[in-house]
Amino acid sequence: MRRVVLIVSISVAFAESAAAHTGHGLASGFTGGFLHPLFGPDHVVAMVAVGLWGAFLGSPAIIILPIVFPLMMAFGGVLGILGIPLPGVEIGIAVSAAVLGLMVALAAKPHIAIAAILVGLFAIFHGYAHGAEFPDGADALAYSLGFVIATGLLHLCGIAFGLLTQWPQGRLAVRAAGSAIAIAGLAFLGRLI
Amino acid sequence: MRRGGAAVAAIACVAVSGPAQAHTVIAGMSGFPGGLLHPLLVPAHALLLLTLGLVAGAQAWPQRRILMLLFPLSQIAAVVLIVLAFAADTQNAILWLGAIAGALLALARPLPRVVTACVIAAGGVALMLDSVPALLSVQETLSALSGTAFSAFVLFALTAGLSSRLTRPWQMTGRRILGSWAAASAILVLALRLVK
Repeated sequence: MRRVVLIVSISVAFAESAAAHTGHGLASGFTGGFLHPLFGPDHVVAMVAVGLWGAFLGSPAIIILPIVFPLMMAFGGVLGILGIPLPGVEIGIAVSAAVLGLMVALAAKPHIAIAAILVGLFAIFHGYAHGAEFPDGADALAYSLGFVIATGLLHLCGIAFGLLTQWPQGRLAVRAAGSAIAIAGLAFLGRLI
Repeated sequence: MRRGGAAVAAIACVAVSGPAQAHTVIAGMSGFPGGLLHPLLVPAHALLLLTLGLVAGAQAWPQRRILMLLFPLSQIAAVVLIVLAFAADTQNAILWLGAIAGALLALARPLPRVVTACVIAAGGVALMLDSVPALLSVQETLSALSGTAFSAFVLFALTAGLSSRLTRPWQMTGRRILGSWAAASAILVLALRLVK
C-alpha cells in the first residue's frame, strides 16, 4: 500500500494535464494563424485582389484599403468568436473574390469611400470565417497576429504586382490577373450554390 | 471501498494536475534574467511595447521627449504600487491599450497630447502590474521587476527611435498598416477572452 501511495504521489508531483495535439506555444500559434489564410484559395485570391485594386486606384486607396481591411476583418472575427450568426459567409467570401477581381479586370475607379465600404464589407465575411475557426489551445494572440500578418502580406503581394500598372503591358497583366481572380471567385461560388 | 475511493481520487488528481510554477515564462528562470526576458516572450507585452514605441516615435521631438520620460516614470510608479501590495489583473487592459495604440497609429490623425501621454503612461503601469512573479520573495520580485522594466524600456525606446526615422510617405504608410495589424490582433483576442 505504501508503495502505491509513493508511486501515486510521484505521479501527481510530475504529471501534466493530457493534451491531444492542441498546438500549444507561441510558435505553433503563430504558424497556425499564418498558414490559415494561405490554405484557403478563396481567401488568397480575394486578398491579392484587394492589393491589386488598391494599386490600380492609386493614392490614397493604396494606403486606405490595406488599413481598412484588417480592422473590418477584426470586426467580423469578433462576430465569429462571439457566435453572432452571419448568413452566407462562404458565399460572401466567394462573391468578394468575384467582385474584387471584376473591379480590377474592368479597371474600375469608384470614389475611395465606395471602394473602402465595399472592401470593408467583404472583410467582415473573411474575418467571420477566421473568427469562427479560432482554435482552442494555440496561443490566441500569436495565432491572430499570424493570420493578420499573412493577410496583410497577401495584400502587399497584390500591391507589388499592381505596381506594374505604371507600364501599358503591366496594366494589361494586372487586368488579366483580375479577370483570373474573378473567374476563380465565380468557380468558388458555383461550387457553393 | 475506502481504497477504491482513494484510488479514484488519486487518478483524478493525476489526470487534472499541472506542474506547479510561478509566473515565469521560461521554466527555472527567475530573478533579473527572467524579468529581462519576460516582455520579449509574452506576446501581449511585446505587442503593447511595439505599438507604444511606434506611437511615441510618430510624435514631434518635444512631445516625444516627454513620452520617453513618462514611460519609465510610469513603470517606477507601478513598482511602487506593487511594493505597497497593490495587485490588479491587467491582461485585458494590456490588450485594450494595444488595440487603442494600434488604432491611433492606423488613424494617424493629430491628437491632443494628453491622449498619447495617457495611453503610454497606462501602458507602462499595466505592463509592470502584469509582470509580477508569483511565489517569490520580495527581493526576487524586485529583481525580476527591474529586469522587466529595463528590457521593456529598451524595447520601447528602440521602437520609438526607429519609428521617428520613418519620415518618407511609404514608411509612414507602413507604420499605419502595422498599427492596423496590431489593433486587429488585439481586438480578436479581447473577443476571445470575453467568450471564455
